Amino acid sequence: MRDLTLLMTAGGVLIFVIVAALFTIAIRSRQGAIGHRGGMRLVLWAGAIVPTVVLAALLIGTLPAMRPMKADDRALVVDVSGEQFWWRVGYRAADGGAFAAANEVRIPVGRTVDFRLSAGDVIHSFWIPGLAGKVDMIPGRTNRLVARATRAGRYRGQCAEFCGLSHALMAFDVVAMEPAAFDRWLTEQRRPPPTPATLVAQRGARMFADNGCGGCHAVAGTPATGRIGPDFSHIAGRATLGAGIMPMSTANLVRFIRNAPAVKPGARMPRYTHLAPADALAIARYLETLK
Amino acid sequence: MSEDDTSGDDDRGLTERLRERRVTLWTLIVPPTVWAVHFLFCYLWVAVSCAKQGGFARFPIAFVAGTILALGIIVASGAIAFVQSRTPGDPPPHDESTGIDRTRFLATATLLLAGLSFVAVLFTAAPALMLTDCR
Amino acid sequence: MSLHAQDDPALRAAQEERLRAVWKPPSGWFFRWTDVNNNRVGVWYTLTAFGFMLFAGVLALIMRAQLAVPSNDLVTASTFNQLFTLHGSMMMFLFAVPMFEAVSIILLPQLLGARDLPFPRLSAFGYWSFLIGGVFVSGSIFFDVAPDGGWFMYPPFTTRTDLSGLGADIWMLGLSFIEVSSVAAAVELIVGVLKCRPPGMRLNLMPLYAWYILVVAVMILFAFPPLIAGDVLFELERLLGWPFFDPAKGGDPLLWQHLFWIFGHPEVYIVFLPSIALFAMMIPTFARRHILGYPWIVLAAVGTAFLSFGLWVHHMFATGLPKISLAFFSAASEAVAIPTGVQIFVFIATLWAGRVVFSTPLLFALGAIAIFVIGGLTGVMVAIAPFDWQAHDTYFIVAHLHYVLIGGTLLPLFGGLYYYWPLITGKKLSDRLGRTAFWILFVGANLTFFPMHITGLLGMPRRVFTYPAELGVDGLNLLSTVGSYLFAAGVLVIVVDLALSPRRAKAPRNPWHAGTLEWLAHPDDEDWGIRSVPLIESRYPIWDQKDFVAKVDEGRFFLPDAEEGRRETIITTTIDARPAQVIRLGTPSVVPMITAVALGSVFILTTYHLYWLALAGGVVTLAAVLWWLWSTAEIPEKREKPIGHGIVLPLYRSGPAAPGWWAMFITMMADATAFSGLVFGYYFFWTVHPAFPPSGLGMNGPGAFWPMTAMGLTLASWAMTVAARELHARGQVSVARGLLGVGILVTLASLFAGLAGPWVTGLAPTLHVYPAIVWTLAIWTATHAGVGVICQSYTLARSIAGRMTPEYDADLRNITVYFHFLALTAIVTYATIGLFPLAS
Repeated sequence: MRDLTLLMTAGGVLIFVIVAALFTIAIRSRQGAIGHRGGMRLVLWAGAIVPTVVLAALLIGTLPAMRPMKADDRALVVDVSGEQFWWRVGYRAADGGAFAAANEVRIPVGRTVDFRLSAGDVIHSFWIPGLAGKVDMIPGRTNRLVARATRAGRYRGQCAEFCGLSHALMAFDVVAMEPAAFDRWLTEQRRPPPTPATLVAQRGARMFADNGCGGCHAVAGTPATGRIGPDFSHIAGRATLGAGIMPMSTANLVRFIRNAPAVKPGARMPRYTHLAPADALAIARYLETLK
Repeated sequence: MSEDDTSGDDDRGLTERLRERRVTLWTLIVPPTVWAVHFLFCYLWVAVSCAKQGGFARFPIAFVAGTILALGIIVASGAIAFVQSRTPGDPPPHDESTGIDRTRFLATATLLLAGLSFVAVLFTAAPALMLTDCR
Repeated sequence: MSLHAQDDPALRAAQEERLRAVWKPPSGWFFRWTDVNNNRVGVWYTLTAFGFMLFAGVLALIMRAQLAVPSNDLVTASTFNQLFTLHGSMMMFLFAVPMFEAVSIILLPQLLGARDLPFPRLSAFGYWSFLIGGVFVSGSIFFDVAPDGGWFMYPPFTTRTDLSGLGADIWMLGLSFIEVSSVAAAVELIVGVLKCRPPGMRLNLMPLYAWYILVVAVMILFAFPPLIAGDVLFELERLLGWPFFDPAKGGDPLLWQHLFWIFGHPEVYIVFLPSIALFAMMIPTFARRHILGYPWIVLAAVGTAFLSFGLWVHHMFATGLPKISLAFFSAASEAVAIPTGVQIFVFIATLWAGRVVFSTPLLFALGAIAIFVIGGLTGVMVAIAPFDWQAHDTYFIVAHLHYVLIGGTLLPLFGGLYYYWPLITGKKLSDRLGRTAFWILFVGANLTFFPMHITGLLGMPRRVFTYPAELGVDGLNLLSTVGSYLFAAGVLVIVVDLALSPRRAKAPRNPWHAGTLEWLAHPDDEDWGIRSVPLIESRYPIWDQKDFVAKVDEGRFFLPDAEEGRRETIITTTIDARPAQVIRLGTPSVVPMITAVALGSVFILTTYHLYWLALAGGVVTLAAVLWWLWSTAEIPEKREKPIGHGIVLPLYRSGPAAPGWWAMFITMMADATAFSGLVFGYYFFWTVHPAFPPSGLGMNGPGAFWPMTAMGLTLASWAMTVAARELHARGQVSVARGLLGVGILVTLASLFAGLAGPWVTGLAPTLHVYPAIVWTLAIWTATHAGVGVICQSYTLARSIAGRMTPEYDADLRNITVYFHFLALTAIVTYATIGLFPLAS
């Protein structure tokens, strides 16, 4: 991809320079510098034949690159669904028990990952610039993207198809981990989060339940099983909040809880401005225990 | 249509007959129309096979035959145009207000379009030889 | 009238007096707007489109201000979405396409030595439709209800009424209205190029601009109707809940993308080719020689037109279609670069062979080509799918498309403005201001858009109202913002130059010493267009034909007079431009304006769900159209008239020799294309569903009986119409009337039979996409049968009123064309809905 870009850019610059030079010569030349026959030869060769050959070579050279990467038997299948304006992530039972996540995808280095892409409401597009090209997420269809990370690290992903008010605020993180670390992470994710230990977190858990947060958000092992919003079972393990738009911190959590539409225009989460700051803080503290 | 040519056995007779075929805006667009039909045929063949069967034949006869047929029509139309564009008269550019110049102009343009359409059909056919599945 | 007669100055003065009286524009504060003369309507059209361009440009400046720094909050996300949707939609629908039509309405009659286009009232109708629709769509932003779904309006975001509001309807209905006027203009321009050329202007002598206009107008004919079909489905979903794009009920959002881009990609060439056409007029003038490689230009225009219809899926490279499908479109996208390259090398060769005289318009042309070439090269890059999967929907594409559109549409139009201003106003624009503007624009465009290539490759997606500082693109964005304001300053210089124009003195005639026909225009122009219609013997008659200008001015060519006090122009044959007929042209009238207002009311009232009022508007529209046709078509007072040099031409022809027949034929081609968009929808749904038609309550139908009955009735009515035409031509008027009378009843019966199928089987269109698409096809065909009833009734009434006789039978011949298409529509519809379910 990188080589192709460089090759095409270099070719483009060369063609531009040649065309510009020809224009300059053509303008400066005296009348009748070339006759009808010479001019026609120029049009035939430089205008028709050379471009045809160059374009044919480019087409034939790049067609094989269109073949998608093969998903082998060991491939990790990850379901991702685009929602306004966040990402629903699901890992399948084949690897030992299905679980849900959101806004962060963790993948093992060196193993092919078979993303199954769909959409819950409108069209989104799944794009991790550092890893692969984009693939649209279209309601009613499931698209596939097979990719493989060759080095560990954090890749930024984002929605690339205009999907509404907060299209600009719909990013996510892809964390490529060494296989052993990834397996440990998988095991952790399959366990429900620990029950809150501190008093304030326990109060937060009650506030979470009393305010009906569980109607939209799920926390494994608790009565909260909502599927309208992102899954919170391990929210504290994510680096960012609100689909990649701000770092995970207590202050940001409080901000989001109290007035999500202000942070994220068009988000389906209503305002909770009536919630006392202390209560919101308690909920944030509770969420921070969900690791 | 023009009246029939009398003698038809020697080479010159064929050339003359071709030259007397009428050249119009409709004959001008024959080559690119063939490209369009071929293109649509390829696209629909793949779209329907992939959607309905999940795959398509590796070296499909219909596709090969269709491509050869399309190229054949384009070459034929180009050849007729070539002969017509050589109708004797003054040298190019054909910019006199005469029937011959008009014919030669339209024939030249048809010949050029045949060349472009030929290349375009080859371009369209290339993917089917290099990509073999529906993914 | 011999050549000799024109030597008499008194005769010439008398002729001029008569011509002047005939072509006198209407006056009065209201009635001056009822003018239909191409010079005036074309100028209104151009100024309006220019105004919309400035408006849309201001929207872009607001966007650039918002994006100048990361996490900016100058405008809200909602406003920003309205801004970019409206910017794109206006530039495409209210500027680029109408501008080309406007310029063509001004230039084409002059290029062809015609007095006016064949249907001046249709031009006026197109203009008023454009103005009403344009103000309706663009004004919505002041009420914060502008469309906000992007110019591509992808469902389901835009079809779900809980996610998008009035803006989507405004876009869909307002712009549909403008599409109708674009198709109307295309009909006018095609007939103009094919039938209104001056005697002797065979196809090989046509000005290249006319070739391009012909090609582009034909493209409009095939590109716009699929979008109109898409609009129909879209509004049926939004207003009635028919689930074409709702996957929960069997619909598919991708159908819209296909229909939109089948329009959307040719659209790019529709706005680009006219600019190349301007180059093709300017470059020979400033190279002081004939264009070199005239057939190559025709190759390029026709080749581009065809190939551009095989590119649409390259806008859908990321939708997950099979890679091999994408590859076909990738191949065609590469191939289309070939004819474009040819065009550019024809210009190089012409400049090389000629003696270049430098001028402001040429400067604009060369700068535009430089920018366009960059856009073309990045276009070749994004046609390669693996590259596009990264670049798609990023700022790289924003850079690419603006290079193409600025280099391929905007700067050429500014060049054309400097070139043709003397033709329209008799005055030259300032060379100094023009060059200043050019350099500001050139630097501004590159400063704005070049950095965007990098911004995009660094990962900034399009259509975002803000971006985080971490992305590392803030410097590049600031550069783009500075560039955009510089660009705006360049436009401002041009506006100032235009504003100063009224104070300047008149320029000499033909100030660029061009060789083409349009430069006959005199600085103190008369409204009659051309003094006498010349005999053409060269591509550059002013350069090559002896005493050409004087002969035209002294009325020594054809039709130098208006003896009967009528507006007239000559119709010639399509290939060889042999004189065939003199037609009488429409005169100033309020009818086009009334029709446009009535039709506009249908679309606008539907937007606000005022269906009864909209229906009333529809009835008024129909009445206005019938009145228009009834009052325009007439039997001439004499059979033929001399046009000079011993040539006598008929004043009336019917069938394929008449412009009206061609207009009907071309309009029906567009109609058939829209219909094929709907049929494509049916078979598209068949491919995406394993079982189609599905079975279940409300989904079983429409059976074979009623569709076959409807098909049989339509064909019977068609046969009666054809028979009526034949017998009428043989003088059996009463038999023909009888056939038409029975035909009316049979067509009406076919209408009800067509609807009976889905009705009696209880197909429920809101339940699933299958009943919805069957109903749509049935209603489409029934509506056409309804129009068929009106056609037959109208013709019968004309015959009874004595306005149609066996000799003057254009009405009957024209409706027969309609019935050919009606029969075809009925066969396809009823075979699809009635027979295909039995086969699949």
